[in-house]
Amino acid sequence: MLSQQDVKNIIDQVIGYSKLPECEVYVNWTEDDFIRFANNGITTSGYRITQQISISSTTADKRSGNAVVGELSAEALKNGVKQAEELAAISRPNPEDMPALPAQKYPHLSNFDDYTAAARGDVMVPQVKAILAGALQNKLVAAGYIQRSANAVGVGNKAGLFGYHTYTDSSLTHTMRNAGGTSSGWATQSSVSLKDLDGEEQVKVSIDKCLRGTNRKKLDPGKYTVIMEPAAVADLIGRLGFAFGARRAEQGQSFLSKPGEGQNGGGTYLGEKLFPEIITLRSDPFQPKLASTPWGPSLLPNERVAWIDKGVVKNLYYDRFWAEKAGKKPTPYPANLVLDGQDNSLADLIASVDRGLLVTRLWYIRVLQPKTWQLTGLTRDGVFLIEKGKVTDAVNNFRWNESPVEVLQRTVKLTQPQRVTNDESGSNMAPALITTDFNLASISDAV
Amino acid sequence: MSRKFTRRSFIGSSVSAASLLAGERLFGERAPDGTQPSADLEKLGDVAMAEAKKQGATYADLRIGRYRNQFSGYRLSPERGSNITDEVPFVTDQNSFGFGVRVIVNGQWGFAASPLVTADEIARITREAVTVAKANAAAQATPVQLAPVKVYRDRWTSKFDKDPFAIAMDEKLELIRSAAVSAKKDPKVFSSFGALGFQAEDKYFASSEGSSIQQYVVRVYPLLSVTAVDFKNGISRTRSYTVEPQTAGWEAIAKANLLENAPRIRSEVLEHLAAPPVKPGKKDLVLLPSHLWLTIHESIGHSTELDRALGYEANYAGTSFLTTKKMGNFRMGSELMNVFGDRTNDRGLATVKYDDDGVLTTKFPIIERGVFKHYQTIRDQAHLIGETESRGCCYGDSWSSVPFQRMPNVWLAPGPETVTPEDLISGVDDGVLIDGNGSFSIDQQRYNFQFGGDAFWEIKGGKKGGMVSRVAYQARTPDFWHACDGISGPSYWQQFGAPNDGKGEPAQSNAVSHGCSPSRFRQINVLLTD
Repeated sequence: MLSQQDVKNIIDQVIGYSKLPECEVYVNWTEDDFIRFANNGITTSGYRITQQISISSTTADKRSGNAVVGELSAEALKNGVKQAEELAAISRPNPEDMPALPAQKYPHLSNFDDYTAAARGDVMVPQVKAILAGALQNKLVAAGYIQRSANAVGVGNKAGLFGYHTYTDSSLTHTMRNAGGTSSGWATQSSVSLKDLDGEEQVKVSIDKCLRGTNRKKLDPGKYTVIMEPAAVADLIGRLGFAFGARRAEQGQSFLSKPGEGQNGGGTYLGEKLFPEIITLRSDPFQPKLASTPWGPSLLPNERVAWIDKGVVKNLYYDRFWAEKAGKKPTPYPANLVLDGQDNSLADLIASVDRGLLVTRLWYIRVLQPKTWQLTGLTRDGVFLIEKGKVTDAVNNFRWNESPVEVLQRTVKLTQPQRVTNDESGSNMAPALITTDFNLASISDAV
Repeated sequence: MSRKFTRRSFIGSSVSAASLLAGERLFGERAPDGTQPSADLEKLGDVAMAEAKKQGATYADLRIGRYRNQFSGYRLSPERGSNITDEVPFVTDQNSFGFGVRVIVNGQWGFAASPLVTADEIARITREAVTVAKANAAAQATPVQLAPVKVYRDRWTSKFDKDPFAIAMDEKLELIRSAAVSAKKDPKVFSSFGALGFQAEDKYFASSEGSSIQQYVVRVYPLLSVTAVDFKNGISRTRSYTVEPQTAGWEAIAKANLLENAPRIRSEVLEHLAAPPVKPGKKDLVLLPSHLWLTIHESIGHSTELDRALGYEANYAGTSFLTTKKMGNFRMGSELMNVFGDRTNDRGLATVKYDDDGVLTTKFPIIERGVFKHYQTIRDQAHLIGETESRGCCYGDSWSSVPFQRMPNVWLAPGPETVTPEDLISGVDDGVLIDGNGSFSIDQQRYNFQFGGDAFWEIKGGKKGGMVSRVAYQARTPDFWHACDGISGPSYWQQFGAPNDGKGEPAQSNAVSHGCSPSRFRQINVLLTD
């Protein structure tokens, strides 16, 4: 792993080669180890080291160029600086360029685990074997993926800014299908520590979902009360993180824009209560279960920020340029999202629904309309009917057309959040929740 | 010359680390076809093969790769609270260099990769790959079996007239800025965005079976789009000029006529902003190649991947409704439908001479007269469906990525020359003509899909009318392709594609093209989207 001194040396070296007034350097180094399995056996796996040094140079009249190199030799770094400076010289002035940030006080985040950083295949294989054993015992078929990474990241610039951080991350996820391909279950765990992953526990969840799903009934599309498990909620709210940009909101292109005449429309909904009291959505770089970094893309220190606080739109994301124009303090980038919850269990949620559906996770989410944040996607790996407070039959999958904004507006009850890492929107903290009138638009025959 | 495993010798000490650190010395040049790979690269290949053999590997391959991605572009958008337009340029040139080693030990794959390209590191990483394979053998389902492959020693460069990296950045910026400025000329247009992307993939492949292959591929990605906003009614629409991304050089950018198309998309985005909403229901669709390529990609390209059908992607990208029992007999669509998998076709983004298994690439039928015939395959899967050779669909998106089955260019054959797009439209009483791409989503077995578009025109009484808005269509893959009753002729065939098709864990991207002619689909479910 690149040490703080290694990163400092790389950054100093790059800055030493730089001739333009501004030079900003990002260093990313990752060592990861992964195992992929399918059809009840390991298929591909690997161990690798990757590294990237991104160099941005800016002239006095705000012309910028960026070069990324993957080699650490003096020659490669020198070439990278030369390339960035040549691009800057040729580019045009950027009216939105902001002066380099001086030294910052970055927060200390505790998300590095020595055990995880040193773990190799021999530590991960037993987790895989636990899942395969569960599959074989139940005559099912498992496919999945376990990985861990150790990461060193660094930033620096000519104005004296320097930052260094290390973090680890790990995840185990798998899908359990029956031999006939008529049922599918799924489970996931992720943590900065590989020790938190437990194949034996995880496989119970997927087996239960898969076995329950073997005789699924056909259910018509329509609007249903839906309990979304944490993975499904994370799929939706992860997308919502992109929707709090002040620029889009102030320029009439966001669900947070009010209709009105002129270039700025009718202003924004900042400060207004758009959601029920139980909805609080925030970013928290100090959440120890999430692999955050101390800074965001603007290099400002990451902070806790509430986007929705007890139903009220509390903050918009102002980058440094837009904040200056608006006369506001710039906002740290939404590094992760935490949807706060309530002291209910998933069983409590199920017990409180007279007729509805329990949804495991979502898939292939795409934006239908960026202005309204209408999305489309599908359910996957387990949809179950709830009748009179009990899970009864497994039912078919659906395509849905919905907005996470409206889903949160119609939310009536939540559990406490847990970390979820998913394919659709990275790592976030999400609870399970009950929402009403969820628009399941058509049937998906997929299993 | 045969370069079999047995003839290799350990020559690591003769390859100086210092001479190999700077990857550009080894890569980045076009070479006449049929010439030999770089001698320095071959020496490094020997290091990996010798070490793999020493460690007990029954198969090994090494890929050394240099990747270059250059982007330049402009965003034109208004300043806060004023009508002043900020013109924001961006230029970036990204390089990545390193190597990956795959081995088979005890019948199990192992892979390891590093950015430090020296003989010593190649030997070390080869040992790491062996360690990975040995650890995994404890949970092996069945030993890996590779379909036979011929041995090649070759060097190949994709077709391009003018190296896009040799064109001055100034010229690129001026072109894209002019187009973006022209596209935003009307004050009612809120913002415009233009970009040029260039990608070079230069890689060396050596295998323990004796192959030694160096290939250099250059791809280009032009883009121009505009956004209009109706503040009063809270509506925002974007219109893009869909340019064919392709394996080609700067000449493709010149042919794209970005500047000439800017006024057209400017007026079309304003028409779209004011367009009435579509009346939902069953309608006939005439889909242009700029749109239909993505429907082909999602519904045919992905459903005919063998690794999906066999369950290897069950946890991520999903499986396929086209199970192996359906190969050779399942009617996927109408008789008009003939689809090929092809990594040899002109300008295709997935076109290359050899795949990442070292297999000479091919063109093969996927669907013939509507019937599903063949899957996309690689060496370690062919035997699982009783085939004796790979169809050359192996690809890893980086030196640090495990190569696996990725999509070739998958294209729909044109109809008879006599069929024009106007003929297709004239046969529609109530329908929609769709150009370009909007939202796209399909389930994990590739049944239920829903697609938007970039622009929509009403078709009434056989005539193309004005624009309509808020259109998406939803269908089930076989139903949709059965509803195809017209495909225009070869003159209208165009190839579009994307650089970022995702699949695999860890996730990888694949660049792939899909050609087709304008085609007609009857009575498809059209939705009103927002």
